[in-house]
Amino acid sequence: MVGESGSGKSTTAKAIIGLEKATSGTVTYKGKDVIQAENRRKLHYNHDVQMIFQDSLSSLNPRKRIEDIIAEPLRNFEHLSKDAEKLRVLQLLDIVGLDPDALYKYPHQFSGGQRQRIGVARAVATHPRLIIADEPVSALDLSVQAQVLNFMKKIQRDFGISYLFISHDLGVVRHMCKNIAIMNRGRIVEMGSREDIYDHPMHIYTKRLLAAIPETNVTHRKEHRQRRLEIEKIYQEQHQRYYDKDGMAFPLTQVSATHAVALPPDEAQQYRQNKRNEGVTI
Amino acid sequence: MAKKDIEDVTTISETDLARLTKEASQEATPSAAKIMWREFVADKPALISLFILVAFILFVIIASLFIDVPKMMETNIMGYYAKPFTSQYWLGADAGGRSIAKELIVGSRNSICIAIGLTVISSTFGICWGLISGYFGGMVDLGMQRVYDFMMIIPMLMTIIVIVTVVPHYNAITLTLILSIFYWMGTSRLIRSRTLSESQKDYVAASKTSGTGNFKIIFREIMPNISSLIIVDTTLSFAENIGVETGLSFLGFGLPMGTPSLGTLIANANDPENITGYWWTWLPAAVEIIILCLAISYIGQVMRRTTNAAQRRGKDKK
Repeated sequence: MVGESGSGKSTTAKAIIGLEKATSGTVTYKGKDVIQAENRRKLHYNHDVQMIFQDSLSSLNPRKRIEDIIAEPLRNFEHLSKDAEKLRVLQLLDIVGLDPDALYKYPHQFSGGQRQRIGVARAVATHPRLIIADEPVSALDLSVQAQVLNFMKKIQRDFGISYLFISHDLGVVRHMCKNIAIMNRGRIVEMGSREDIYDHPMHIYTKRLLAAIPETNVTHRKEHRQRRLEIEKIYQEQHQRYYDKDGMAFPLTQVSATHAVALPPDEAQQYRQNKRNEGVTI
Repeated sequence: MAKKDIEDVTTISETDLARLTKEASQEATPSAAKIMWREFVADKPALISLFILVAFILFVIIASLFIDVPKMMETNIMGYYAKPFTSQYWLGADAGGRSIAKELIVGSRNSICIAIGLTVISSTFGICWGLISGYFGGMVDLGMQRVYDFMMIIPMLMTIIVIVTVVPHYNAITLTLILSIFYWMGTSRLIRSRTLSESQKDYVAASKTSGTGNFKIIFREIMPNISSLIIVDTTLSFAENIGVETGLSFLGFGLPMGTPSLGTLIANANDPENITGYWWTWLPAAVEIIILCLAISYIGQVMRRTTNAAQRRGKDKK
């Protein structure tokens, strides 16, 4: 999930995991609405859905040892014996590439990348099905970002975990995600597979966002600048059309099997028409 | 979905457990008690204060066991304002011929015990009140804070005096309980404000998503993180609480007649004759209170430094 800051990405994530109350709508898991805290408890929802936070320092309790931090979800859900629990923590530390002597240390004794890996280890501890990663690497420098992301990918491969990966960094998203949703002004404006979004962006905001990715190729600097300015010009001329009179995006219109865009009503009408026509010809 | 288990991915197995645990404990950070002791060693005035305070409290509690209080409080006409530093009256005697030294020992025990009791009860209650109010917020906070406001507008000293005169047989324990009702508010407000900011932090959210219960989060996650505030507040309120009982007794509404306390001893200074002529009747108690409060605040400073790594002075010996 991508979007500018303040577009509601984190709020969506928090509503999904149950940290924030949704004002309306539902989140369904195993046929139950998990907005209700009672349903979450009954389903052991947080056993299956975990979260990685943006700020690695404040997401680890500064007064607890690493062992206790990683073991916390285990203690709540799995009730292992003391030795089994310690062994599991050591294994988790090994998976994220930390030494066993981290066990009795405190969070402030680690670097940012190491702390974020501890956060990953905690999220993986109960073997969840979905991990919500709320900008997990945006506070880290580039080399450490790559390291943490690769650990996350490795874990995904090994354990078959789904990620809801929230970011504003399109490069990272391209590396990590198969399906992408673009958020703007509190609504999803475009949703589709990686190819849909990067190769055929349809919403004006997505186009502008993609144009903002910096290019490192110096020889084509002029052309890139030209193209960016062009898209910016189009955006300035047309963006009125893509939002209703309250400044909100329109409802999503399905344009292909994987691709949905918040098109303005007239274009959406056209697509629906096309679809109907296709149906007739078949 | 081809799920592998955590065991399959790592090479660590049960055979390594003991070795790795040992390795980890060698690298472990020292325990809180060790750090606190190092801080005391690094700060000589605090070490002396700790020694004085502990020795003094032990001394008054043990020594008062050997003093026959009713007999001590009997009027003895022969000892009328006896001079200090004699074999019978180490610190002289008051207008009733009662030994000041003995009164001081029994009175200190009474005052310190009341102060400890008052601090324990009112701080525990105040901390719980503040933590719960700050953590849950919303309607819970609103309700709890209105109770707080109500308690705040009650004129404290007047109400205590009224209750003390109304309650039939009251003694040190009932006095402690009555005082406790009125001395938890400051602590609770302080704790609440810190809890409000603390409960917004991500580690609390992380605990919630890990499935930890609310009360466990409050007392096992948030409380350790505001422990420095709690320790400083408790030590300061201990020093203050010695003053509370002393002040009430000084006014004549503290402990009942016949029970000596630091306050009744200082109340001797009400008499102008005592102030000018018989200094030994009130000076020792006043000096004692000053020394106690100073010592407590030194100790409180060390404890605060223990809980805050950036302020530590103790050497990091491995």
